[in-house]
Amino acid sequence: MTTNKAKDRKQKVNEKQQNIIDALKDHGAKVYGDLNNGQFPKLSIPSRSVSNIVYDKKLRQYILGNSAALRSSRNSSQLRSFTQLMWLAFFANRLTQEKKSSTLRDVYYSSQAFEIEFEDQSESDNIIVDLEAVLSKPREDFHIFPEERSSIFGDLNIEYTIPGYEGKTMNLSNHPDGYAIGPSLTTAELLDTSAEIVIAIEKGGLFTRFVEEQVDKKFKSIIINTGGQAPRSTRTLLKRLHDEMGLPVIVLTDGDVYGEHIAMVIKSGSANAAHLRDLTVPDAKWVGVWATDIEKFKLPTIPMTESDIKRCHDLQSDPRYQEGIWKKELDVFLKIKRKAELEAFSKYGLTNITDKYLPQKLELAKSL
Amino acid sequence: MSSIKEKFNQISPSEFFYRNRDLAGFSNPTRSLYTAVREFVENALDACDQKGILPDVHMSIKAVDLEKPDPKPYILTVKDNGPGIETKHVPLAFGTVLYGSKFGLKQARGMFGLGATMAILYGQITTNKPVLVKSSTDGKIQDEFELLLDIQKNKPVILKHTTKEVTKRGLSVSICLEGDYAKAGSKIKDYVYETSLITPYATITFDDPKGEKFHYSKIVNEMPPAPTIIKPHAHGIDVETIRRMMVESQFEIPNIDDAMVEKVRKDLGLAKNNLAFTGIMDKAKKRWKTLSRPVRIIISLMSFLKMDFDKLNKIRIDDIDVPNKKLYYWDFGDSKSKSVDMDPESPYYKQLTGTVQGETLTTFLTKGFQRIGPPTAVKFAEFAGFKPDKRMGTMTNEELVKLSDSLQKFEDFLSPDPSCLAPLGEEPLEKGMKKFFKPDFCAVIQRPASAYSGFPFIVEMGVAYGGEIRPGGPHVYRYANRIPLLYDEGSDVVLKVVNDTDWGRYKVKGEPPFVIVSHICSTRIPYKTVGKENVADRQEIERELRLGLQFLSRKLAAYMSKRGQADMAKKRANLYAKYLPLIAQFCTELAGKTKEPNYKKLLEEEIIVDDKQS
Repeated sequence: MTTNKAKDRKQKVNEKQQNIIDALKDHGAKVYGDLNNGQFPKLSIPSRSVSNIVYDKKLRQYILGNSAALRSSRNSSQLRSFTQLMWLAFFANRLTQEKKSSTLRDVYYSSQAFEIEFEDQSESDNIIVDLEAVLSKPREDFHIFPEERSSIFGDLNIEYTIPGYEGKTMNLSNHPDGYAIGPSLTTAELLDTSAEIVIAIEKGGLFTRFVEEQVDKKFKSIIINTGGQAPRSTRTLLKRLHDEMGLPVIVLTDGDVYGEHIAMVIKSGSANAAHLRDLTVPDAKWVGVWATDIEKFKLPTIPMTESDIKRCHDLQSDPRYQEGIWKKELDVFLKIKRKAELEAFSKYGLTNITDKYLPQKLELAKSL
Repeated sequence: MSSIKEKFNQISPSEFFYRNRDLAGFSNPTRSLYTAVREFVENALDACDQKGILPDVHMSIKAVDLEKPDPKPYILTVKDNGPGIETKHVPLAFGTVLYGSKFGLKQARGMFGLGATMAILYGQITTNKPVLVKSSTDGKIQDEFELLLDIQKNKPVILKHTTKEVTKRGLSVSICLEGDYAKAGSKIKDYVYETSLITPYATITFDDPKGEKFHYSKIVNEMPPAPTIIKPHAHGIDVETIRRMMVESQFEIPNIDDAMVEKVRKDLGLAKNNLAFTGIMDKAKKRWKTLSRPVRIIISLMSFLKMDFDKLNKIRIDDIDVPNKKLYYWDFGDSKSKSVDMDPESPYYKQLTGTVQGETLTTFLTKGFQRIGPPTAVKFAEFAGFKPDKRMGTMTNEELVKLSDSLQKFEDFLSPDPSCLAPLGEEPLEKGMKKFFKPDFCAVIQRPASAYSGFPFIVEMGVAYGGEIRPGGPHVYRYANRIPLLYDEGSDVVLKVVNDTDWGRYKVKGEPPFVIVSHICSTRIPYKTVGKENVADRQEIERELRLGLQFLSRKLAAYMSKRGQADMAKKRANLYAKYLPLIAQFCTELAGKTKEPNYKKLLEEEIIVDDKQS
């Protein structure tokens, strides 16, 4: 049974890879054909301009509209970026075929071996997003990973699929510092777990505290440190834990507008990634720290800055903040104009947050 | 008052200029050498221009003693192929300062003779050497003069005069003067260079003291049309000029002498028979229409004097007193002054008063000024508050001032006649610029004639870009009446207009290889200083310069954008050549092919497409 399941999963992974390779090949063949026929090849790239980003209520995330920009090799001002995009497709194809991974920074340097100059990394990052948009797949699918690392800890067995480690298994509660969420973990098979919930937490310090206080055992949970705004690989893993292992996801952040939005991005994605699917956990729940908690738990606070307040006003016009706790808490933040960090609980003892606050919130989450 | 005037007259013009030589550009050895070169070269060119001869001017500067440090004596010789000067005029032309040499209203480089004589004077003062003049007016015999100038008497002293057989017409002037070629050299070379640019129909050569030769052959074989001498324009006039014009236009009572009486008798057909007074009058009445003005005046006088020819021979007319209607005369027979009353009702009365009081205002205006016809004259009289038939001779001082002021203010005069101007013309200017600068692009314009304060002027401009022009432009070449202006660039109106232009708008950027030539022609260039090196920013001139430059700049911009397009096409071709092979390489592997697609025809096609566009 287990082996069958594993086989299924392996097949699924291979299929995913093949989809990418096929898509890349299609584009390559089209360009090849154009050139051979004396035509200047061009690519249609979905527009990522603000006007083309719309909120899809059904999908509960931002998606791209229908407008697309044509990038033509005939236009001398687009020729360079067209070539860059072709190179990246070519490079992604090699990575995927050879099952090698690369970072954003790697991409920037690898280009130089092919006489493709990128002014700086942000230019190459942009081309990567272009390819994501063309393929409608996140860069992780074609083996390009960000540098940001977040970490995971808890009773979860995985099996690597990356070359050299294929078939190796690992339990993610063996190392108390947690495991970095990188390409090998994101692409690993999720075998089994005793956990019943995933707790995503914004800060590394609190993550360490949670491990120390054995939150994983006490609350049968997998703890994930998002390291601020959750990277895509982390969001992918969160989604997989939810979808494949059937685990609910709760998010614990600082008590400010940015924390609230970290939770929102995990739940419904960001405008930046409107061209991508499968990065969201629509059922994820934000359990704190809420604006109303500040009063309720008498937390020490610091005043909001002007940019905090501006951010509140910006989010008030976001369609996802029009109802429920999202709207309610945002309004309260704006009213009290103060914020509190997760560490604020330390005023009442280092374990106050795990002993008192967390159990209450976990209980509450069930009713959310 | 009168004694001071006399004293002024006692200073000879030579002496006056000797004392004020700074004003004429002879302030120091450097400036003096440059000024002397200019004066002689410009005289030579003017002389050829006036006779329609394509100028061939040869100039040389030789050091008397090569070893001596500057400043030191130099021998300056300028030789032309012009009309030469008649033998009898040579000593006066070169041995006197031509005080008030009269000059009609037409464009020329300089006041003929004045500056050249100053140079001779300067040479004589500094080296005490005579001027050597060789002149041939017929191309056969040449006069050779050695002259000194008697400064106090303003008279030439002929040291030597010989003649010689020659084969070429022309004038050669050679003076010895103290100069500083080390300092003046570059300016003189610039002057020769720039002069030959604005005189493309002239051949100019220059041998410098160091043995260097500069030769500028003529580029065009046709001379621009010569200017004509014209009457002044009403706007460019002052009280003093009006007064002088009145003197010229007034009629005098003719002298009643034997010759005059003889003429009257002849015109009346009475050369032989003698008629009595009434007979003469009857005869005159019949022939009135055929009679000349002086004869009519004599008849009119006789009508009041009631005299026949015999009696007329014995008197002298002293005065015609118009206000008192009396005619005064001296009777030789009685040896006393007598008078008769004049009947204002007599038709002869008007003839006499008209003569004494001069022309009517309208006649004065239509005859004395350009572009004023009778209707305009009448309109002006109304504007100025004069009767149209007001006699000029009856004008008081105040009225003359009023007349002068009104002439300036009246706006309905036609603009000044530009036929007295001699612009170079668009074609010669363009040819000259192309030959001189060898540019990629050249455009010229001659603006229509305009006027400031009654002086007509024409602006000619040219721009040249690229080619062999050195970068660091715009390089501005300024000319006025075909003279290059080399000094005091900063405060010149042309520079102002050039600097006011936003060249970025015309796609001229950085340190462009860019030349601007401007030529202002006028009967009077409004120089800012006595040095005559920079033109004042008169609003009318500035406007014409601006319009001219704008026109040329637009042409330049069109050229520049074309040039930019060609550059762009080249750049694009380069881009394609760089990137298409890469795209081919990447898509070949992506598509899983082994052979690269044939993109080469794409490169060729693209270049053809771009050629069609441009």
